[in-house]
Amino acid sequence: MGCEFGGPAGGTSLINDDQREAYIMRRKGLSAVAVTVAGALLLAACSSDGSEGNASEEPDTSGGDAPNELTFMFRGGEYDKLAYETAIAAFEEETGAEVNMIITDADQYATKLQAAIAGNQVPDVFYIESGRMQGYVYANVLADLTEYVDQATIDNVWDFGTTAYRFDKETGEMGTGALYGLPKDVGPFGFGYNTVMFEEAGIEPPSPTEPLTFDEFVDIAKQLTQDTDGDGELDQWGTGLNVTWNSQAFIWGAGADWISEDNKTVTVDTPEFAEALQWFADLGLVEGVTPSAEQAQTLDTYQRWMAGEIGFFPVAPWDIATYNDVAANNPEVFGYDVIPYPVANEGDDWSTWLGSLGIAVSENSKNKELAAQLATYLSTNLEAQKILAENKVQIPNLIDYATGEWIETDAEATGWPANSQAFLDIAMEKGRPLPGTWTYTPEWYDNFWIGIENVVDNGSQTAADFLAAKQPEMQMLLDQSWVSAEQAKAAG
Amino acid sequence: MSVTSPSAPQSTWTKADIKASRKANRKLHRKEYIWAGAFMAAPVIGWLAFLLFPLGFSVYASLTNWNGLGNMTFIGFDNYVLLVQDPYFWKALWNTVFYMIGIPIGLALSLGLALALARKIPGRTFFRTVYYIPVISSLAAIAILWQWAYNGDFGLVNQFLSIFGIDGPNWLMDSTWSKPALIIMAIWKGLGYSTILYLAAVQSVPRSLYEAAALDGAGAWRRFRTITMPMVRPVTFFLVVTNIIAGSMIFTEINIMTPTGGPEWSTASLVWYIWNKAFRNLQMGYATSMALVLGILVLIVTVIQFRMNKRNEFSIE
Repeated sequence: MGCEFGGPAGGTSLINDDQREAYIMRRKGLSAVAVTVAGALLLAACSSDGSEGNASEEPDTSGGDAPNELTFMFRGGEYDKLAYETAIAAFEEETGAEVNMIITDADQYATKLQAAIAGNQVPDVFYIESGRMQGYVYANVLADLTEYVDQATIDNVWDFGTTAYRFDKETGEMGTGALYGLPKDVGPFGFGYNTVMFEEAGIEPPSPTEPLTFDEFVDIAKQLTQDTDGDGELDQWGTGLNVTWNSQAFIWGAGADWISEDNKTVTVDTPEFAEALQWFADLGLVEGVTPSAEQAQTLDTYQRWMAGEIGFFPVAPWDIATYNDVAANNPEVFGYDVIPYPVANEGDDWSTWLGSLGIAVSENSKNKELAAQLATYLSTNLEAQKILAENKVQIPNLIDYATGEWIETDAEATGWPANSQAFLDIAMEKGRPLPGTWTYTPEWYDNFWIGIENVVDNGSQTAADFLAAKQPEMQMLLDQSWVSAEQAKAAG
Repeated sequence: MSVTSPSAPQSTWTKADIKASRKANRKLHRKEYIWAGAFMAAPVIGWLAFLLFPLGFSVYASLTNWNGLGNMTFIGFDNYVLLVQDPYFWKALWNTVFYMIGIPIGLALSLGLALALARKIPGRTFFRTVYYIPVISSLAAIAILWQWAYNGDFGLVNQFLSIFGIDGPNWLMDSTWSKPALIIMAIWKGLGYSTILYLAAVQSVPRSLYEAAALDGAGAWRRFRTITMPMVRPVTFFLVVTNIIAGSMIFTEINIMTPTGGPEWSTASLVWYIWNKAFRNLQMGYATSMALVLGILVLIVTVIQFRMNKRNEFSIE
C-alpha cells in the first residue's frame, strides 16, 4: 500500500512425502520469517524516509573539502532559486568561493537533512526551521554564528528573524543566547477582506491600522452573509476560517495563550481561552457567518474566498501572486487588502503568528567562516531580497529597504496590496511564533487539534469542557518535551 | 558392489610426494576457490550489511533514548514500557488493524473480477488494462485525486451517491467514515494486481476437473466452491500474506489525505505515528521500538498464516 515491494513467489508444493513435507514446512517457516523480516525492514525504510526516490540519485550533501568550496542545501520554488543564484554569483565574485547548490522538494527537505546529518554528510549551509532547532543545537550540528555576524547586519534584520534562531543551551530558552541562524524570510500571517464584497454590500472598509472588535467583526460578517440569488440558500459568508491555522490570532486577541511565557505550563484551561475558542466556534455554530461544516474544508473556504464568496480571510505574502491573478481575472467579484486581526475589546492589542525559515551553518564545516559569510549573504543581499519581494515570495528581510524604498514605491509597483504596511507591522512588533515552535518538540501543541472538530464543527462539546480535558494531556506532553530536551542536552 | 582388494602393494609415494601433490592440487583449484568465495561473499556481505546490521542497529536503538541526531543513551526497556502505556500507540495500532478489513473485501472482488475476465467477453483486454491502471499509478497522485473525490460538498463520490438519493457523509472529515473511505481507496488501488494474479490462477485450473464435475452433476456454485476456490488457494494465501504486510505499512495516503491524523485521530496508522515520532518529535529511539513491535506482530500473524495454510493443504495426484 504505502511502499511497493516484491513479494515471495506464490503457491506451495502439493506433495505427500513425509520427509519432503517436513522439509518444506521448515522452508515455509523460514520463508515466513524471511518475508516478515524483509517486510519489517521495508517498514523501517518507509518510516525513515517518506520519499520514494532512488538512493543512487541522491545528491552528495556533504560540505565542501577545498578551502573555498561550500555546499548549500535548500528548498523552494523557481524564484528562490533565481534569487539565490544572484546572491551566490555576487558572493562568489567577492570571495572567490565556489558554491554548490542542492535544491530539494519542500516536503522532503526535513527528512533529507536529518538523513544527511545521520550519515555525516551535513552541507555547509542549509535551511533550518526554528521549531526544530534545539535538537540540532544539542547534537552540535549547528555552528554558533554570533562572532561571524556583525551587529549592524543583525540590527538591519527584523528582530524576530534573529531571535527565532537564538537559543540558550544552558537554560533551554529560545529567543536568547547564541545565534544559530539567520532568516531566509519572515512570514507574516496577515488578515484581509474582499474589497468588492464590501463595496457591493455598501459596508465601509475596515481601518488599515485599527483592529475591529469581535462584536464589530461579527456584525459585518452577518451583513456579508447573504443569499444573493434568492434561491433560499446562502451564497456568500462573512468568513470561513480553518481552526488549525486561523484561530491563533483570535485567541491571542482575547488575551489568552497556549503556553506560559517560560514555555513550561500549558495555559489553555483559562476562562479567557475558553471564551475565545467558543466565540470562534460560534461563528459557524451560532452566528452562521461561515460555510457549514461540510462546506468548510480548508480547500473549499480558500476557493470560496477567491470566488468572491467569503468576506474576511487570511492573506499572507505567499498568497499574493495567486490572489493578484484572481483579482485580475475576476475583478467583478474579487479584490482584497490587508487589515489587522480583530481583538476582543476596543483598545486591545492585536497580533498574529509570524513564521520564519532560517539559514544555518554546519558546526563541522571545513570553511565555517566562509559558510557564515554565505549565510549572511543569502539572508541580507539586497539584490536577492529585491528579487524575492518583486516576485511576491516574501517581504524583504532588510529593515532599511523594507521600511524605505520598498514600502514607499517598490511594493505598490510590483503588485503588493495597498496596505502592505500591515505585513511590516507584523514583522516588526505584532508577530508571535506559533505555539510549539519554541519548545523542544511541538507534540504538546499538535495534540491540541485532536478532537477540535467536536467544538468547532459539530458543537458536540463546549470549548470549556474540551479545554479542561485537554490541558492535562498537553501538559504531560510538554513536560515530556522538556525531559527530552534535558536528555538531548546530556547526550550531546 | 564390493571389491576385495588384494594385499595392497606398498605405496611408492613418500610423505613428501603426498605433500607436493596436495600443494599442486590446492594451487590448481585456488583460483576456483577464490571465485567461489567471491560469489558467495556478495550475498553474505549484502545480507550482513543490509539485513542483519540494520536489524541489530534497530534493536539497539529501540533500547536507547535517541533523537536521531545526537548520541544514544541506553535506557533498557523504557521505550517498551512507555509504548504499552501510550494510548496513541494503541489507537494507531487499532486503526491499522481496522484497515485490514479491506483485504478480504478486495480479494473477493478480485476473484469475482478474475472469473469475469477469464470468460471470452468482448473487450476483456481493455477491462484488464483499465483495472490495472491504478496499480501502476503514483500513490501520491491517487491520494490527492481521492481527496477531492471524497470532498463532502463537491466530491465525485457524493455526487454519484446523490443520483440514488443518498446524502453521502463528509468522508474524510467524519471520524466514522474516514477509515472506510481510506479502505475503499486502498481496495480500488490494489484490485488490478490481485485480479491479474487470480486470473492466471483461474486460467490454469485444468478444464478436465470442471468437465468431470459437470458430468457428476455439480452446479456452477458447487464447481466454484470445490474446484476453483481450492485451486486458487496458493494465490489467495500469497495475497493475504503480502497484503497484511503491505497494509501494516500504510502511510502515504494517510499523510496526504489526512495530514493531522484525521478527525479525532481516526485515520492515524501506526507507521504514520512512528514517522511523526521519529522525525517531527525527535523520538527516534521510541519510534524504533514501535517499528520493531509492529514487525514482530506481523511476523506472528504471518507464521500463523503459514501454519493454517499447511493445515488446509491438499494435493491432486
